[in-house]
Amino acid sequence: MSFVIARRGIVLAALSIAALAPSISFAHGPSRQKVTETIEIAAPAEKVWAIVGNFQDLSWLPPVEKTEGTGDNTPDKATRHLTLKNGGEIDELLTKYDAKDFSLAYRIEKVDVKILPVNNYSSTLTVKPQGDKSVVEWRGAFYRGFPNNDPPPELSDEAALKAITDLYKAGLASLKAKVEGK
Amino acid sequence: MRARVIALHSIALIPVISISWGRAARAALLGLALASPAGADEAFVTNQGSGDLTIVDLSTMQPMATLPIGGKPAGVAVSTDGARAYVTSPEGKYLSVVDTRERRVLRRIPLEGGPLGLAVAPDGRRVYVADMYEQRLFAVDPELGVVATAKVGPTPSGVAVTPDGKTILVAIRDADKIAFVDAASFEKRGELDVGRHPFGVTIDAKGERAYTANVESDDVSVVDLAARRVVATVKVGKRPYCVALAQGRGFVTDQYAEAVSVFDLETFAPLAQVKVGEYPEGIGASRDGKTIYVANWFTNEFWSIAADSLKVIAKAKTGDGPRAFGAFIRAMN
Repeated sequence: MSFVIARRGIVLAALSIAALAPSISFAHGPSRQKVTETIEIAAPAEKVWAIVGNFQDLSWLPPVEKTEGTGDNTPDKATRHLTLKNGGEIDELLTKYDAKDFSLAYRIEKVDVKILPVNNYSSTLTVKPQGDKSVVEWRGAFYRGFPNNDPPPELSDEAALKAITDLYKAGLASLKAKVEGK
Repeated sequence: MRARVIALHSIALIPVISISWGRAARAALLGLALASPAGADEAFVTNQGSGDLTIVDLSTMQPMATLPIGGKPAGVAVSTDGARAYVTSPEGKYLSVVDTRERRVLRRIPLEGGPLGLAVAPDGRRVYVADMYEQRLFAVDPELGVVATAKVGPTPSGVAVTPDGKTILVAIRDADKIAFVDAASFEKRGELDVGRHPFGVTIDAKGERAYTANVESDDVSVVDLAARRVVATVKVGKRPYCVALAQGRGFVTDQYAEAVSVFDLETFAPLAQVKVGEYPEGIGASRDGKTIYVANWFTNEFWSIAADSLKVIAKAKTGDGPRAFGAFIRAMN
């Protein structure tokens, strides 16, 4: 009798692990975070968009070593695989592309939270004409790296916000320098 | 599956008696001075980023008050009589009980895990709260705290109750199902496959059909509640969050499309996509069915839209990150 109970206990434990397993890849914390960063660039929007509007080349973003992708700039088809200078890898999908309004949106399909501590990341990059200058706005929405309650500090909401804010700031400063030729 | 009664003294922060006395004393001293205008319909919008609750007068679309809630509030449900609004704080792990007339938080009821989706029983005597982490649904007595727990499945999200109060529907996001919980026994009595990652669940006024917004498959499952089967799957925009019903139409917030998809409830034909703010989430209909209300999470705005012409009527500012996940409208009789 005790043998049967013990076995049942093992089976139940195994079942509960199996039941949890499917949630891991899609799970996220309860509170989505958002970041908006902007920078003014002393160049017309067309000139900035010529760089930002090419989804297949993210060389203006400092941590990126290499961009490999397919699908050109076609929404829901274009993908890119980023290799970072630290060896990290990120897969992204273009979800919107509007050349007329200088705006594109994409999301991360796959990233290790050790590389970028976020889940369900989606982002929009827009170049806004301001006379002969332009303002680039980069917005992101995402969940923290830890999918459950009580996250460790490196996978908290704060860690996710800091990582994305730092990335956007560095990226926009680098884009400005590249466009302005400094 | 087991119902579990938790010791009451560990749940209630404030003894029930002092609350009753406090309310009586307030009423005696202040009369109706603090009361909101009689008959005014209001929205209770949870702002997850700023950790508060914006109360919007729906006749003027003006924010009337902001109540601090804390704990990253997300879910909200107003009782049928309009007297109470219940707000979940998944990070704070509690349910806030709001007196809608006095516009103040009466008490916090501690809950384990990550309380998110919720619904109030039609008689107001139970609040059903999903714990998104531990596969369970809590039955909460608004005066006493948790009185029962039901095991429902992985990442329970949206919750709705049939108008007769007998059945509770829970979107079981990570199992791609809805669960049917019997309110009397508080046990799961069946489940049904829907689209991928159902989040919001909405039941029509007659209790005949339920609608789930399926985040991963970009569609809505239409469920016949008597037959317990899916009668239609309606394609909508990217990352649907929740469904509202009015004038024979379904209105669906598409988070990644900055739009509300509109479809016909009889033919299931798509009718329109209304452009709204960024990351629309909570959506609800006015009692007369003339107006749809949408919380735009990224742009911190609460919009009203005419249900027939689909024109945007007005926009109200909210706190940061409005979600308004649940039955957020207080309809006064």
